[in-house]
Parts: sequence; C-alpha cells; structure tokens
Amino acid sequence: MKRATTTVSALLLVSPAFVSAAPVDFVREVRPIFERHCTECHGEKKQKSGLRLDVKAAALKGGDEHAPDIVPGKASESPLVKMVLSHDKDERMPPKGDGLTVAEITKLTDWINEGAAWPDGVDAVKVKDKRDHWSFKPLAVTSGNHSIDEFIASKLKANRLVMSPETDRVSWLRRVTFDLTGLPPTPERVAQFVKDGDPQAYEKVADDLLTSPRYGERWAQHWLDVVRYADTHGFEVNTERPNAWPYRDYVIDAFNADTPYDRFIREQIVGDALGKDPATGFLITASVLLPAQIGKDEPSKRLARQDSLDEIVNNVGQTFLGLSVGCARCHDHKFDPVTQRDYYAMQAFVAGVEYEDRELRTPAAETARREAAKLKPRLAEIDTQLARFVPLAKSGVERAMINARENVDRFAPVAAKRLRFTIHATNSLEPCIDELEVFNAAGENVALASTGAAATSSGDIIVADRHDLKHINDGLYGNSRSWMSNENGRGWVAIEFAKEQSIGRVVWGRDREGKFRDRLATDYLIEVAVASGEWRAVADASDRRKFDPKDKKPVAFSTKGLSEAEAKEAAALMREKSVLDAKLKAASDARKVFGGTFREPDEIHLLNRGDPEQPKDEVVPAVIASLGGVKLDRRTPEQQRRSALADWIASPQNPLTARVMVNRIWQGHFGTGLVATPSDFGNNGMKPTHPELLDWLAQEFIRSGWSVKHMHRLIVLSQTYRQSSASNRVAAEKDSDVRLLWRFPSRRLEAETIRDAMLAVSGQLNLQMYGRGFDLFNQRGGLSGFTPVEKFTPENQRRMIYAHKVRREPETVFGAFDCPDAGQSTALRRASTTPIQALNLFNSRFTLEQSEAFAVRVKKDAGADAAAQIRRAYQLALNRDPNDDELRDAEPVVQAHGLATLCRAIFNSNEFLFLP
Amino acid sequence: MNHAEHLSLAGRALLDRRQFLSNSATALGSIALANLLGLDGLLAAESGGPIIDPSNPYAPRQPHFPAKAKNVIVIFCAGAVSQLETWDYKPELIQWDDKPLPGGPNVTFQGPAGNLARPQYEFRQRGKTGKWVSDMIPHLAELTDDIAFVHSLTSKSNTHGPAENFLSTGFVLDGFPSLGSWVTYALGSENRDLPSYVAIPDPRGVPQNGANNWGPGFLPAAFQGTTMSSKNPVRHLTASGVPEDADRAARSLLQKMNARHLAANPGDGKLAARIASYELAARMQLSVPEISDLSTEPAHLLKMYGADDTQNADKAAFAKNCILARRLIEKGVRFVQLFNGAYASGGKLNWDGHNALKEQYDIHAQILDQPAAALIRDLRQRGLLDDTLVVWCTEFGRMPFFQKGAKGRDHNPDGFTCWLTGAGVKPGVSHGRTDDLGQKAIEDVHPLYHFNATILHLLGLDFERLSFEHNGIQRRLTNVEGKLIPQVLA
Repeated sequence: MKRATTTVSALLLVSPAFVSAAPVDFVREVRPIFERHCTECHGEKKQKSGLRLDVKAAALKGGDEHAPDIVPGKASESPLVKMVLSHDKDERMPPKGDGLTVAEITKLTDWINEGAAWPDGVDAVKVKDKRDHWSFKPLAVTSGNHSIDEFIASKLKANRLVMSPETDRVSWLRRVTFDLTGLPPTPERVAQFVKDGDPQAYEKVADDLLTSPRYGERWAQHWLDVVRYADTHGFEVNTERPNAWPYRDYVIDAFNADTPYDRFIREQIVGDALGKDPATGFLITASVLLPAQIGKDEPSKRLARQDSLDEIVNNVGQTFLGLSVGCARCHDHKFDPVTQRDYYAMQAFVAGVEYEDRELRTPAAETARREAAKLKPRLAEIDTQLARFVPLAKSGVERAMINARENVDRFAPVAAKRLRFTIHATNSLEPCIDELEVFNAAGENVALASTGAAATSSGDIIVADRHDLKHINDGLYGNSRSWMSNENGRGWVAIEFAKEQSIGRVVWGRDREGKFRDRLATDYLIEVAVASGEWRAVADASDRRKFDPKDKKPVAFSTKGLSEAEAKEAAALMREKSVLDAKLKAASDARKVFGGTFREPDEIHLLNRGDPEQPKDEVVPAVIASLGGVKLDRRTPEQQRRSALADWIASPQNPLTARVMVNRIWQGHFGTGLVATPSDFGNNGMKPTHPELLDWLAQEFIRSGWSVKHMHRLIVLSQTYRQSSASNRVAAEKDSDVRLLWRFPSRRLEAETIRDAMLAVSGQLNLQMYGRGFDLFNQRGGLSGFTPVEKFTPENQRRMIYAHKVRREPETVFGAFDCPDAGQSTALRRASTTPIQALNLFNSRFTLEQSEAFAVRVKKDAGADAAAQIRRAYQLALNRDPNDDELRDAEPVVQAHGLATLCRAIFNSNEFLFLP
Repeated sequence: MNHAEHLSLAGRALLDRRQFLSNSATALGSIALANLLGLDGLLAAESGGPIIDPSNPYAPRQPHFPAKAKNVIVIFCAGAVSQLETWDYKPELIQWDDKPLPGGPNVTFQGPAGNLARPQYEFRQRGKTGKWVSDMIPHLAELTDDIAFVHSLTSKSNTHGPAENFLSTGFVLDGFPSLGSWVTYALGSENRDLPSYVAIPDPRGVPQNGANNWGPGFLPAAFQGTTMSSKNPVRHLTASGVPEDADRAARSLLQKMNARHLAANPGDGKLAARIASYELAARMQLSVPEISDLSTEPAHLLKMYGADDTQNADKAAFAKNCILARRLIEKGVRFVQLFNGAYASGGKLNWDGHNALKEQYDIHAQILDQPAAALIRDLRQRGLLDDTLVVWCTEFGRMPFFQKGAKGRDHNPDGFTCWLTGAGVKPGVSHGRTDDLGQKAIEDVHPLYHFNATILHLLGLDFERLSFEHNGIQRRLTNVEGKLIPQVLA
C-alpha cells in the first residue's frame, strides 16, 4: 500500500463542513484503524509514551510527550495526525510496516475535524479506577473483641488447615529474644524461664526484652534498612558523612522510648520544630552529589538538585505511605492514583531542604559550642609560640620531611617587599598549593590579598571553584581553594606585599584539609627581595629530611636542635596542644548533625518527562490529590510546609500510615508481612493475606497511642507466634510459603544478628551504645579499595549497628548475607544462600578469632573436662545440652584439635544460624 | 548431576531429591529446590510469566529466545576515554586547532572552555573496511574489521559516578542491579565451581563508583559480582593459620551437626540449601586457585598479552587480568567485567584527561592496548569468540575543545563511542555519527539504554521482559526506555 502523504496533508486544510455528508462513525470506522495500527503498543498491555487509544478518557487525555494527542476539531494541530503523516522514520507512527493508508488517514482526520466524537460506553476495555483499591479506603472497623489468633485460625480453618502445636519454652525464648533484641538468650535466662511457674512468665520475658536497650538497637536496624541509612555520601567520591550517626542514635532511642509512631513521623520530617534536631537526618539519608562533583554548567546543577529532591520524595512516599511516588517523576503513575502533578506537589513540601550538616540546638551541643569557643584562642596562641621552635632553614639542622598538609619555613627576619616560591619537583603532576602564608614579626599574615598583597605566577591551570591563582592568598584552605601551576613538576608563584615588611616565617601546604597528597612540591626554593633588589634565597628543601612518599604520617614535632630549656617548653606546649585538639574535636563532633538545612524553598514546576530543562507550570505544595485535600499557598514558609506534610501522614485518617507500619512490624516477626510487598501498598503490590487482621492491627495500633511496643507484645504472646516451626507435608502442599501461618516460619538470621550473636556467645560483645561508628575498613569513605580491619578490639566488637556504614561497600564477611548496601531502600531483606557466605563464615579471621575467644570463655566456665566444655558451648550458642550422639561426635574433635574447632563448627551450623 | 561424587551425604540427598522432584514436580519439591539460592517465590512470581524456571536455579537457564552469545566479557574503561583520540576520527578538528568554537559553551563540567584542539594522535585507515583509528592503540586498531562501533551514544550524566552507574546499571542513582547481575540472574551459570559473575578490578585500583558497578542492587546477593584479579584472589578461600587436619575436622563435624539438624527438621529447603552451599564452597576452594594460577600458560602466550613485560608493571598486571578473563570464560563463567582504569586521580590512574591528556593517554594506552587486543585474538583462536560477546565501553566521551589553561578535554555525555565484537555481532560496522567536531551525536542517536538492550538481546534476553519487582515497581536494566540497535547485529 503506497502512502500518499501530500494528498492527505492537503485534506487537512479542508474545512470540515465540506468534507463529507455523513459524519464519521467512531465505532465502525475509526476504532478499527486504532486496533489495526496502534493499540498493540498503545492499548491495554502496553502504553508506550503513556498513550493508550483503546479507552476514551485516556485517549483524549493523551500521552506523556505531546498531550493532548487528539485536538477535537483540529486535525492539523493534533500530534496524532502529525505522527502518522511524518516522513521522519524515528517519528512516524506506527514505527513498523507501511503505515496508514490514505483512506485511513482521511477517515481519521475527518473524524477529528468533526469534533472527535467518541461515544460513551463503547469501549471494550474498562479501565480500573486507580483509587478503587483496598489500601486507599478507610480502615474496616471490626466490632467486638478480637485477637490475632482468632483471625489466623479462622483463615486456616477456611483452608482446612490448623495451627501447629505450641513450641517448647526454650525455642520460644530463643526465637523471641533474637526477634526483639537481635541476640541469643543466656543459659542463665533459659534455666530461669524453664523453671518459672508463674502464669505470667511469658509476659515477663516480653516485658524484659522490650525494656532492654538491646531492643532499640535491633529494631532501629529494620528502620535504617528502609531509609537506606549510611555514613558516606555515595556516588563516585563516597566520602565520609561524619555527622550522620546522631540520626542513627535518634532512631535507636525512639524505639527504646516507644515514641508514639505518629510523633516519630513528625520528628523525622520536621524535628527542627519539635526539639528533635537529629531526627531530620531522615530527610537526607540518600546518596548525594557534593557541590564539587556537580558540573559547573547550569543544566548539571538543576539536574543534581532534582535528583536530590527526588530521593526525599521517594523516601517519604515509600517509608511512610508504602507508595512508589517516585514513579510519577516523568509521567503519571501507571498503577496508582499518583499523577505527575502530585509528584511535584510533594516535592514542593521539601523544596527548601538542603543536604547539609546542621548545628544542633540541644543543650549538650550548646555547652560543647561554648567550650570550643573558649579553646580556640588558646590553640592559636600555642601555635604561634611553637613556631618559635621550628628549626631555622639553612641552620645545618635537618628539618622535617615535606608534608602534604602543612610546612613551616622559618628564617632570620629579613626585610622584603616581595617573596617568590619556586617549585623544582613534585611527587606527581603539576604542583598545587592551597595557601601561601607569610608572617611578619608581629605574627600577621602579610600575604593575604585582603592586606593589599598581590600574587603573580609562572602560569596557572584554572578550574572553576577549585584552582585559580587568586586562591593562593585568599585565606581559605583545601583543594577547592588552591593554586595549580600549568607545568608538570614545576612553576613559581610570587607575592608582592602592600609595603615592605620584616618577615621570618612562611607556611604552605598542598591541602590543609588532608584529603590530597598528590601534586606536592618536593623540591622548592623560597626567595625574597626588597622593592628594587635582587632575589635572595632564604629557604629551600635541601636541609629537609629526604621525601618518602610512603611516609604519610603527619610530621611529629621535633625538639632536635633546641636547647634543653627550649625543648622542655616546646614539649609542654605540644602536650597542651594535643589535649586541646582532642577536646575541640569532641566538642565539634557533638554539635552537628547531617540533618539538612532549611532555606527559602525552590519554586517547583511540573517538569515535562521529568526533565529540568523543560519546566511547565508552577506547582504548590499539596498532598496526593486522590488521598487527601491538603494544599498550601505558594508563599507558605519552609517549615510550615513540612509540618503540613507530617500532619497529613501522621493522621489516624490516613488509610496507609498505620497499615504500612503494622505490616512492617509483622514482617519483623514472621519474615513476611501480611502484605508481602512492604513498601508497595498500591495496585501493583500484593494483597493482604489477612485483610481483616491487618485493619484490626492498624486500629489497635492507633488506639494504643501508636505504640510499637504494644504491637510487639500482642504478636510475640500470640499462639500464632508460639507455634512450633516444624513442617508437615500435608500443610506444606497446601501452603508452601506458610503465608497462612500453620507453623512458625523459621528463617536465617540477618547479617548483623549473626555477627552480634557470635560476639555475644564468645563473650567479646561490647555493649557500649551510641556515637561515631567504629571502622570496618582502613578508611571511612573515599575512592579506592577498602581494606577490611581484621584486628579485633573492644571498639569494633560493638554491635554492628554502630559500625561506620560505607555505602555500597559490603562488610567483608557479613555483607554477603544480604546486608543492604544503602543504595536504594531495602524494605525486605532477601535471604539468599551462597558459597561465598560459606567461605566467609567458615574461614574469615573474624570467625577464627571469635572461635578462639569462645573456647577460652567455655574453658573458664566449664573447666578442663571435654564433655563439660562441649555441654557449656552448646548451652551458650544453642541454648540446649548436647545429646549423647553429639557428645560422641564432638569429643574426639575437641581432644585432637582443640575446643576452638568445635566452636568454629557451631558458628557455622544451621541450628545456630536459623530461628527455631 | 556429575558433581554428586564430590558431595557429602546431606548434599547428595539434596541432589537426589532434586532429581526425583524435578521429575515429579510436586509443590514441596520445587520449594526445596528454589531455596537453594534463596529464590523462593521470586523468579516465577515476579514477572507474570515463567521467564526463569524456579525449580532449578543452579543450572544454566534458558534465555527468552535463542541466544547468539552465551558469555560476556566487558572491558570497562573508567574515567571516560576520549572518542576523539581513539575511534571517532574528526579531521575538521585539525584545521580548527587552537581556534575558539563559535557559539560553543563558555563553561562545561569542570570550568571555562578553551580553544578547539586537534586529535592528539595521528589517525590512519585500517583493515578491509578502511576504518580510521588513531596510533594510540595500534594493536586494537588491527581488529576493526571484526568490530561494530556505535559512535552516537549519549549518557544521562556528565559526572563520573552517576554516569558509571548509568552505564553499569541503567540508573544514575546508587543501588540498582548491574548488567552482570541481571545477566546471571537471568541465565544462571555453566560452571558451578566458580562464581558465575566475576569483576576484575584494574591493578591500579577500583573504578569511580566501586562496587556499584558489580553490585546486585535489590537482586538476591547470589547475583553479585565476585571480585578477583591476578593480584588479589577471592577472599576467605582458606582459613589461614588453621592446620589442615583441624580444618577437615571442623568441616566434618559441621556436616554431622547439620545432618542431624536436617533430620530433625525435615522439609525445610533452606537448611538443605545451606548444607549444599558448603559443598560448593569446598569445590571453589580448589577451583579458584587453579584458575588464577597462570603458571601453566606458555611463554609465547604471556608474551602475546604483554604479561611478561618487566618494564611496565601495570601493563603486565592488566595483561594477567586479561588472561584470567579468558580462563574464566573458558570454564563457563557467564559474565566477566574487566576494568581498565581506576578512580579519580586527575587523569593519572584512569582516562579522565582534563589537563594533560596526551601525556597521560600515552601511559594508559600502553596498559590497555596490547593485552586487550591479545585477549580478543586469543578468544578467537580458541573458538571462544563464537559464543562470547566482547564489549568495550566507557561512561562518556570528551569535548572537542581543551579546557581553558589546560591541555585536556572536559566531560562530554552528548556523543561518544563504545563497541562490540564476537558472538552475534556484525563485523566491520560503524554505526551512528557525531557532528563534524565530534561534540554531539547527530545521526542514529542512542542513549546507553539502547546499548545495554542490545547486549541483553545478544544473550537471548528481551530487555522488556527481564524484570524484578522492587518496592512496587517492575524494575528493568533499561528503566522504561530501551530499543535495539539492529545495525550492529549479525
């Protein structure tokens, strides 16, 4: 079939009134054209570019790219017609085959020109109303008294199944202790519980566990998985995020304090207004590009900002509402009633949030701030005094090795109008200096541009916001404010002072912030000159200790070449300095949180296809229109916006909030939620297995004052939870996934729990809470490969939640046990089983050392008898005595190879690694 | 089940049951089997169609349609290789050398733009196709008759980290599954004694976004790339300091403990799977050292790769990585990612030539060229190229002008070159075009989505069907985008 587009194009111009007598009939004449050519890609199964042509409302609304695609009465303006007529092979529709015939195109254009009449009720397909979905409806009220067991039993009965018998006391105790605290019970607790005749014995255990601080450490981990918490910034530099941990500690405290969940939500969104500064760390847990990584061109900046706002909206939507709101960034959500406008309206609530540290305003932080302010002047004084003891250049005394951070060149005071610093060699590439300071007798830096001094150089590499000649004397430190020569291994920079000075000290460095060690001048010469005079050398590298690139230690203060009295004075100053430095550091650590800063919100626009370069109309803060009516004025101040968002989410009327959270709690106990897709309660998610139970739990949650601990108590004391985990073939054939809970579904412990449990059993666990994370690697962030720390100390034998979490860098042993990498949200950990896990757990230094420690502990408890040792090891690790067969297996091994061999086997055993 | 003889009683029982159950295919049976990799309920339920048979997750899986390629080697050049110094010849730049680009941008990624700059190497025509390639890479240049170039790729980011994410995972954000994870998730592995997906970092260090380039994202950890190289073997292969007999005793005691526990808890597939994983680990302990032992390679082969180069340690180490890649492919490892170039270093350790491009590329090209070319030749000589796809890629290209005050080029995501060779690839093709200065793709423009979609296609996988449910979204390697590049298919 030949296409004759020119003829058809001409037809478009013809006024509709004269085209034909009988109006085009949609059902008989137009719909078949759509069905023949279009609906394969724009129909029920696929909606490419968001367009579908099989349903009236959707077709007339149009697709993502040029809605409306059909302009009634105006065929020539309808993108649909343009596309079928196009000569551009990338644009023409349909993309394959010969395209529409002349007759078809004529029919289509006539129909549009006549007003695109599409009768109601003729569509073969009925589009589901996205709002008509269980989780968007109010909680179903169940009258009368109910219990978890009643809902579970009735569903089992309907499926001709029954609950399994109750498990033994020890198994329940081990199960609930791991579940609530992430640690095994002690043998003493086991013995006590087994003997406890009190009818309230189970309740007492639950209460004890819930009041233990170990509870918050365990359940905070579940929350941190969802919000993808980490202590680095992610992306290519993945540098340390040194003040993230106050948020981690906040979450632990919030669980321990049983902070009502509605308040927990408010604090995380707008804690700055509620006296909970660290809580807003929630908003900005995602990876983010740091300013220096973002392109200097405007489109790069706009895209980076959009990406960082997107992460906040995703976090709010997934975590609290169980909705993938982020899907609507480029187009209306395919399955859920979230439009693209809704998405940007959600952005507008958080459009003033920046990914930055904020000064804490807690009383402790205020005290620390005052303390720090007092320390600083004294430190500056010490530095000045110490400078007197730096050996003079050219004095014959060997001076300290050149250091990338900071170097001092001291010489006898000399009159100078100019000073020149010439580099003859570097450790790599073009030399770079972050600041060149020249001090006069009064201790003033006379090189500063602000004093009128001017800099010249042999040539520069200029990188915006990073390298420029002006940065050599701008008073600012670090790579991002530095000068770089344009020649490999050499170059010079000179300073002309405002007036002649008597100078005696030059201080310079590659990067005072300590991040860069390349481009370091390893051979240099410092010369001075009076206004008209010749250059005269005052210092160079020749009397410094030979540069050794492997020696990365900061230079220790040397008393070499000093008189005894001088040395004594210097040493005293150094001692005072190190004490003050440590105090200052502690004070600084305690007063900041990576909790975001808040500023005048960006103006938010709907972005065509999510592209920041295609802004459409402005959008004001509003909640998802199909779920609520909150809408704010465009002038609403920043904090009020977040408050309004938090109030809407944390409301008992919000149909999602309570359901999503009780489901997460359920999942924490049974491995799978009543809704198996914990962060998707939308149309594409799984339906609840027990909808009435879910709604009853949600109401119970709200009724209890949003008490998370109340929910734990209900669950762990239920008969459902107390069932045996033993399988049986008949039930398994009916419900292999145990979704109906005919038994307790056993599961493997999580990564952190395995590590913590090994330490608890070996007796090495350090229960110190809170604070800056301990190191898993030789570095806390950065670009290059991470070497695991394999020397174990009390500091790194704390619970794993206190580890410094490097984004995307799995912990060497336990990362393989499906430990989330904090890239994207992990609402549900998959439990995979791989040979790499086996290698790690069987052969790692961690396991071998903990096995040794475990053995030492057992020997101390049980004495020299092998059988007693084996019994004690079983009690500590597995909460039971070995039977005779097991003793017979283990005894010869212990005798021939030592107790640690048994301990290593126990740590790797299924019984140790699975919940009973 | 030719592995059965290596297995313990418990492991054999599991395999026997698998055989039995795969015949009888009861519900319980398939669950036990699926548990072997922790895949229960994932594969079948995910995609609305049985893409992957969940009852047999260890075995190699059938692709969606007959595949041209079974295995993949990706040569990943980190830091963004300049298209203008390698594969995309722009003679116009010679006459425009050191002249400003009229209407060009004032500021690009790193700062102010300078004048246009000619290609820093001489170009000449090669092979039967007469393809213009620079003298920077003389060995690879000899292979152009077999290569399909795509000169018109674009990226969604001009920043290394997000752009490496985009190349490796289809998303600029962190935390999405890598290409290798998708492929091994879809296809399983031909070799059960080795990891199915191996990432070999450059001897100079890991690439910019590190482990995200071989991470499983939200796919099960089983599909994560395992890192090893000629320098650093797989971690925790042996328990250092433990005498061999004590090691054996621990293993045998563990087997007994687990066997008793399994007997007391029948019907739990997860327990059996864990037992089997220890058997597999034991086999890996033997096969990994064997595969990384290059001493069995003949001298002429080491020479061909440049692995015997005593003057250039980085080149020799990269060459050994190339040999390792071939050995892995030979053993049926599904996906090998071979990195050339490390992290940000002012272009010192990778292809990020901002300031002294020529000087640095002289060094980098020495390391890449001969070993990578030898790898492709070696694969072909052994017939491995018949079912192995080789991909050469980089995260974006570079600008036709120098940066102000420097002798290097800034980031350019708007038009750059990657290429394919080997199984299923049409030889001697140059597809797509950038403008006369090589700044922007203008003909047959392909976002990297298309490149990745095409790689999946060559492996018999439909990029629209290969998906995984995560937090309510059917995720794909190519997001909601993607299109094949049929011009590069044989």
